[in-house]
Amino acid sequence: MLELDRIQVSYGAAPALWEVSLAIGAGELVCVVGPNGAGKTTLINAIAGLNRVRNGRITMDGRDLTSLAPHCYCDEGIAIVPESRRLFTGMTVLENLELGSYRLAARPGRAQSVERVLNVFPALRERLHAAAGTLSGGQQQMVAIGRALMAKPRLLLLDEPSLGLAPSIVLEMFEVIRDINAGGVAVLLVEQNVAMALEVATRAYVLEEGRIAGEGAPSALLATPHIRRAYLGER
Amino acid sequence: MPSFTLLAQSVLSGIFIGALYGLLGLGLSLTWGMLRQINLAHFALAFLGAYLTFQLTHGAGWDPLATLLVVVPCFFLLGASMHWLFARFAITPFNSLLVTFGLTVIVESLIQWIWTADQRLMDSAYGAVRFKLGALYVPLPELLTLVLAVALSLAAWAGLRYTDLGRAMRAAAEDAPIAAAFGVNERSLSLLLSGISAAFAGVAGLCIALSFTLAPSQIYAWIGVVFAVVMIGGLGNPIGPLVAGIVIGISESLTMALTSPAWAPLVSFSLLIVVLLARAKKI
Repeated sequence: MLELDRIQVSYGAAPALWEVSLAIGAGELVCVVGPNGAGKTTLINAIAGLNRVRNGRITMDGRDLTSLAPHCYCDEGIAIVPESRRLFTGMTVLENLELGSYRLAARPGRAQSVERVLNVFPALRERLHAAAGTLSGGQQQMVAIGRALMAKPRLLLLDEPSLGLAPSIVLEMFEVIRDINAGGVAVLLVEQNVAMALEVATRAYVLEEGRIAGEGAPSALLATPHIRRAYLGER
Repeated sequence: MPSFTLLAQSVLSGIFIGALYGLLGLGLSLTWGMLRQINLAHFALAFLGAYLTFQLTHGAGWDPLATLLVVVPCFFLLGASMHWLFARFAITPFNSLLVTFGLTVIVESLIQWIWTADQRLMDSAYGAVRFKLGALYVPLPELLTLVLAVALSLAAWAGLRYTDLGRAMRAAAEDAPIAAAFGVNERSLSLLLSGISAAFAGVAGLCIALSFTLAPSQIYAWIGVVFAVVMIGGLGNPIGPLVAGIVIGISESLTMALTSPAWAPLVSFSLLIVVLLARAKKI
């Protein structure tokens, strides 16, 4: 479904991604692991249209996205849960959710979409009219995921959804991500929590210094001594 | 001590002038708060609108309200094209202040060239009409200003709150890249918002033409107090300028009635300082 063909992204003169190629099939749950500063956020933002791709191509079902304006990426069914959530903090929870369904294809059945999100995250029901900035970290993450679900995506991009959350909530988030994927939405997950990410993923990439350093089934990656040493703290 | 009637009349005229401050501040506040552009030329646009209204009414014999049919769409296009140019040349907020100051001077010269520096007073069917409310006089032009200011402020508020486009504008004002990731085309929304703000200036122009004598140098007369109104009301807040405008209008006119007109600006700017200090504590 989604294919990245040797994409390069730079900040000014400094390249952040070098010829990264990656593919996600329909319904897959793919995770990208790697150390801080490896370019994981850059990668996910490029797929959402937030970063300009300098070289290479991003295609969705063969359609080239690279030359599109940023606001057109979501029309391909791509929705992002960005790093540190980036809610519209001055707007209410409901307004944040409804903005998620701003693209024309997602607008019909908006009330049902909100209901679906509230069924996934019942805690948001009482906070619907509160300003999003006043919510707890866990609830804000729920809004961020809910906002992305409102866009009726075919591909959901999740950037560090567990960052800064209490362990019990992290477990809940991974449960939700698994459910979303089971509902037929392909997921690209970027995580620091490598053990958790590899547990839920069907396939994984290792990103190091802006390059793909490995790819395979989670079990295969977990068997690699380098991965165990670098990401799971084994000696 | 002035009589009760005089004080009540002062409060009323304070509300009326405050409504004009609010109407002038509305467009300024929206573009400043949501597009980060400080549009000094907003005042020049309002006076351009006032002179156009004058011309159409005085010269061509139109009803003043009918001039809105021409002024509003023209100003919408004017505002949108101004913003297109600003975006094209990537003008920063501070530079927008300089560029729009330049535009103000250009518009002032243009007005002076077309209508001369003489004072102009529009004779219209509305100008002399006034009602009596108990012991108080209510002039129709000022009442019309109040009605328009309230209607447009509420319309702007409702539009930003309840429509998809309005919410998208608020979202883009807070985090444009993320809004874009959800399909918000910030560029075209900015053009829309700039056009609407300029159209508001055109409506304010009608109100100015109805109630005041026009002279090119008058463009600068209200800049200070309207900036105070915009800042007290909160940048980007569609109701704030009207409320702040009326508060300042009333306090100004009471000051004029109780002391002397010279003290009026002191009141508005003291209020501004107090509000800014109080707000700084909250942050």
